[in-house]
Amino acid sequence: MRGMGDTDLEPAVTSNSEPSIVVDHVGKTYYPSPKWMRALVATQIREPVIALDDINLSVNPGEIVAVVGPNGAGKTTTFRILVGLTTPTEGRAIVMGYDATRQSPSVRSLVGWMPGDDRSLLMRLNCAENLRFHGRLQGMRPKAIERQVKHTLELVGLGHAANKSIFALSAGMRARMQLARALLHEPPVLILDEPTGAVDPVAAHQLLNLIIKIVEERKIAALLSSHRLEEIEALHSRMILLDRGTIRYDGDLQTMRNRLDRPCVEITFGTDDAAHRAAKVLDTANAGIASVNVEDETVRCILEHGTRQGVVLAELEHMVADIVTVDEVKRPLRELLAEIYGATTVRSEEDIRRERREERRREREGRELQDSGRPRSRR
Amino acid sequence: MTTTTTEIVRPHTGKGPSRKRAGTWATLKAFVRMEFIEEISYPLTFAFTLLRSIMPLLLSFFIGQLIRDARVGGDYLTYVTIGLGVTAMLQGALVGFGGILQQAFMRGNLETYLVEPVPWTALPVAMNTWALLFGLFQGAALMVLGVALGANIDYASILPFVALILLGLIATTAIGILSASVLMLTLKSQPILVVYGLAASLLAGSVFSVSQLPIWLRVFSFVIPHTYVINGSRSLLMADPGSFEMSFGTAALVLTIFSVIAMPIGLWLFRRSLEFARKMGMLSGY
Repeated sequence: MRGMGDTDLEPAVTSNSEPSIVVDHVGKTYYPSPKWMRALVATQIREPVIALDDINLSVNPGEIVAVVGPNGAGKTTTFRILVGLTTPTEGRAIVMGYDATRQSPSVRSLVGWMPGDDRSLLMRLNCAENLRFHGRLQGMRPKAIERQVKHTLELVGLGHAANKSIFALSAGMRARMQLARALLHEPPVLILDEPTGAVDPVAAHQLLNLIIKIVEERKIAALLSSHRLEEIEALHSRMILLDRGTIRYDGDLQTMRNRLDRPCVEITFGTDDAAHRAAKVLDTANAGIASVNVEDETVRCILEHGTRQGVVLAELEHMVADIVTVDEVKRPLRELLAEIYGATTVRSEEDIRRERREERRREREGRELQDSGRPRSRR
Repeated sequence: MTTTTTEIVRPHTGKGPSRKRAGTWATLKAFVRMEFIEEISYPLTFAFTLLRSIMPLLLSFFIGQLIRDARVGGDYLTYVTIGLGVTAMLQGALVGFGGILQQAFMRGNLETYLVEPVPWTALPVAMNTWALLFGLFQGAALMVLGVALGANIDYASILPFVALILLGLIATTAIGILSASVLMLTLKSQPILVVYGLAASLLAGSVFSVSQLPIWLRVFSFVIPHTYVINGSRSLLMADPGSFEMSFGTAALVLTIFSVIAMPIGLWLFRRSLEFARKMGMLSGY
């Protein structure tokens, strides 16, 4: 009766090198259900969907690697392969020397997994019982379970809530509870699928700091996904950009900034009109200016690499008297990512203008409506 | 831009809290405790489930008063107490796993169970145990009520009766696991068990004798484990089990053969379904 999920083979490869997680040329294609199965349940997809295409990554002990990408990029599929919930169609995923597909039970005992939603917690059980249940299935001895439940709840700041049912916890506490479950058996590898997805920014910040601290202290290899780009920046860790199943970038954020970021100058004018005139001038200038955006009385220029800020000022020579301030600004991470993905996740100037026109129209209509309904005597 | 690493670390050195691979027994205990806590956290549902299980007996008791002179071998109340009691005992084993699996699918707990390092073949048995125990309790309560109402149980054969029930539980658990294997692929399989449950209540003779069925329908009675458990139990616990008498030996032999064949097939099929669902990425869907 031993199948793929039950096999407990010798580790696939053993050597003294360092990565705890290795994803080696992994590909995953989801196929439509076979025809015989469609008689039982309708297929959810009609065409094969390539979720991952030749992915390679590795995570060392004590390292946090943040996986970033839009919905459908392949983050969750990568994580699910690593915890054995799905299988790769190509390549292999190795955790602590064990093949995640063929030696799934061994991998499952070495990984602490935090899924993306809190539904995975047993809602009617209290925090301690949730952890005890997990500890028993992890094969921990009763004494070790009790010790670890107490210790882990304290660690994540839920010591006071041991007897509270999960229903009674806030979203932030549930996230901590999920982290506690992932940490209970002291795994050398953590897989955290959007750990801060459902919590407020303050709780997210605290949770992330906690994760960083634990990873450092225990020398855990952690793979983490997040949609919150400010969190990725705060992590100061390696970042992997996934896009439609392929890795677009693997490295630290600063290196990515150095490679992709371009100088950005924000010039504030005294009036909207001056700003628009300046934008027009800069738009037509051919002096290493990559793009120009105007918003109210502020003009924002992204320069080509190597272009000096003075070039912009030189173009605006005849308008220098109208300039109020000139600042060099750091571009938000989301803009850089949007550039990498080639997507327009950042609103364009035209979008902003259109929204503003729409806003003004609504205001005007509102005023007219008020005026028409107001009694003459009050005018 | 990508990092290709072919070097692999040495396997885990076993740091962390003291533990060993959780076996079937530990898995079973964990699930029973978890299900028990869940069950008692809904006290009203718990009480009504018990009440619901004894209602058919009360109904049969009054029908028995109405047809006092109708003979089914011994008295009708004893006849129906054994029939309904045994059916209730088997019901948990039959539908328990499918129900819990479906609930886990809907709640989003299934993946949490699957990422634990327990053998996947142990899961069906472990997840079914609470429902099985609860079904046993319901059946026993129903039989106690029957005795309180006047049923005459022959306690001399209680041990062979327990053995027959155990065999019946294994056989019906196997059917439940087979049904759950379908659930893994179709995401819903309770209708299959509902049909089977209705067929079992009709064909196995829980409230009337199988001999009253037309011969062509009676053929189907012989492929249902319920028939052997119910009628074998009547032969053990009633002085006069009526026209459809089934010896303990025959019932035990058939149930053993059924269990030996159906249980490994059920577990194998469940594994295969799970592997298939894993490959297709269906485990998180519903």
